[in-house]
Amino acid sequence: MSAILELRGLEVEIEGLPILRGVDLEVRPGEILGVVGETGAGKSMTARAILDLLPAAATVSFEECTFGGTDFIPPRARQLARGHQIGFVPQRPRGSLNPVFRVGKQIVDTLRRLRGMARTQAREEALNLLRSVRITDPERVYRSYPHELSGGMCQRVCIAIALAGEPELIIADEPTTGLDVTIQAEILKLLGEVIAEHNAAGMLITHDLGVVADVCDRVAVMYAGRVINLGTTVEIYREALHPYANQLVSIAGSLDSGGTPQEIPGRVPNPGDELVACAFAPRCFRAEDDCYGEEPPLVHIGGQMAFCHHPLTSEAVSV
Amino acid sequence: MTGPSATLALTDLTKVFRIKTGAFSHAELRAVDEVSVSITPGRTLAVVGESGSGKTTLARLILRLIDPTGGSIRLEGADITRMKGAALEDMRGRMQIVFQDPYDSLSPWQTVGRTVAEPLILHENMSKQDAGDRVSAMLERVGLSPEHARRYPHELSGGQAQRVGIARAMITNPALVVLDEPTSSLDMSVQSQILLLLQSLQEERNISYLFISHDLTVVRYIAHDLAVMYLGKVVESGPAAEVFSSPRHPYTEALLKAAPRPDPHYKTDQVHLLGEQPSALDRAPGCPLYGRCPISEDVCADTPQELVETDPGHRVACWKRT
Repeated sequence: MSAILELRGLEVEIEGLPILRGVDLEVRPGEILGVVGETGAGKSMTARAILDLLPAAATVSFEECTFGGTDFIPPRARQLARGHQIGFVPQRPRGSLNPVFRVGKQIVDTLRRLRGMARTQAREEALNLLRSVRITDPERVYRSYPHELSGGMCQRVCIAIALAGEPELIIADEPTTGLDVTIQAEILKLLGEVIAEHNAAGMLITHDLGVVADVCDRVAVMYAGRVINLGTTVEIYREALHPYANQLVSIAGSLDSGGTPQEIPGRVPNPGDELVACAFAPRCFRAEDDCYGEEPPLVHIGGQMAFCHHPLTSEAVSV
Repeated sequence: MTGPSATLALTDLTKVFRIKTGAFSHAELRAVDEVSVSITPGRTLAVVGESGSGKTTLARLILRLIDPTGGSIRLEGADITRMKGAALEDMRGRMQIVFQDPYDSLSPWQTVGRTVAEPLILHENMSKQDAGDRVSAMLERVGLSPEHARRYPHELSGGQAQRVGIARAMITNPALVVLDEPTSSLDMSVQSQILLLLQSLQEERNISYLFISHDLTVVRYIAHDLAVMYLGKVVESGPAAEVFSSPRHPYTEALLKAAPRPDPHYKTDQVHLLGEQPSALDRAPGCPLYGRCPISEDVCADTPQELVETDPGHRVACWKRT
């Protein structure tokens, strides 16, 4: 199955600090790829690089970047896709809507710009979009200002706007952070449904392993500016090859079952910290000399890939 | 649950805010409505609920940062509901808090040592010099080194800053520590370190925790007892394991089913509550969940629901489930 979005060796530097140090990932048609990691791992930066939304001071380079078969390395190509082929759902829905315009106008403006619609036609389509995100009284929401809507309702509006350009890929950056649990469940379900209904693919950025397990088909685990492990959700949660991914999942699992979590010593490195060959080595229980001296090799087992000298393969786990 | 041995016992604790709605009119917001819970030494009571449920107001009432409208608060048997002045200041050393945001809750102008020494200076009339040894020992106990005493908050990582917040709370040997979402701004790998630290401090010192959180995964791990709040009311309470395995109130049920779990074979359930949480201002006189509840009947609209014990210690405020 050929990927809709494929990234190889994405590097981002801001004012001399390496933020992304070679990100490899692919999103396949129809799937939702989860991107997880802790603060500073580079999740949001990866999304911003794809949309060409990085700060001006950033320098970006790719080894390879294609979207639907077309070369995506030139910044212009990524700018043109923004809103059209790629829809974006932000983290803070209310902050992302313009507070001084009614919600309806904001959707209509988006439709007119992206799809060149006439005003009356855009109004009809805006109401359809509000209906497609399961808003039961679209006329009222259309006439509302963002501050008159709840957080969950604002996020539905943002999803409607992301759908306006009929995208092939929807990137959602922590779309439910700050929402209550019951609303979070509704928004996640909605995202999954609209992605399927529009025959699109999804990329869901989150730090919440519960959210990933709930909606994602595959998971990319990031650490210190790289994807260090990628595989199907079941593979990552059951038998992640990379010790970091494995421990992260097992911490979440043991908290959930009331067991005592393993401790990962130390802390996540900040951009600019001195890193050894494998950035996780100083915190890793399997680290040996080669982890400090040589770049970790790419390991493929089953549907998983990982950068690790000492991956947790089944025979190694039993030792 | 209430008894003379409880560290903290709340009886019908109520806080009503008057909200101005016009030049001559106001409305009443019952932020905390007749809450009765208690915590015994060495145990953790988790208070869960969504935003606007009154969790944080409850914490502020208990710590006497705001004055209750009604009901009573007893800390180690002493009634502190209306306590004032020096008597209240003396009690403050017995009850401490750890805040959600570790950076915001530390003074940027004070060294870590000074921050951790402050409760000793305030509540135990210690001099700065005498406090030094206690501070060093406390910093080591929470996993920092005595050298950290000379640092400023901006020189610390999030996990280290939260350890400082914990050291400050624990240094006066309090009986009760309120933990207001203490791990929600921390990374996952650091979260478990802090939870393990809190747990070992509790075992060592027999502290009671009031743990406020919306993260049910963390609550599942740390709580002994659980109180579920909705629009200022406790709708269900009891031993945490029991409430998690057999929730009775429709709201608890919806909350637990909606919470994602880190297991790809577990899928969150269709949330069967209708609409979103209304404002506490226009609440029906009866059950707070009326209007959203899938099993409600007309009588629920104006019949207040009292907590009724269904199993030992397990109480539910829903006539259809008791």
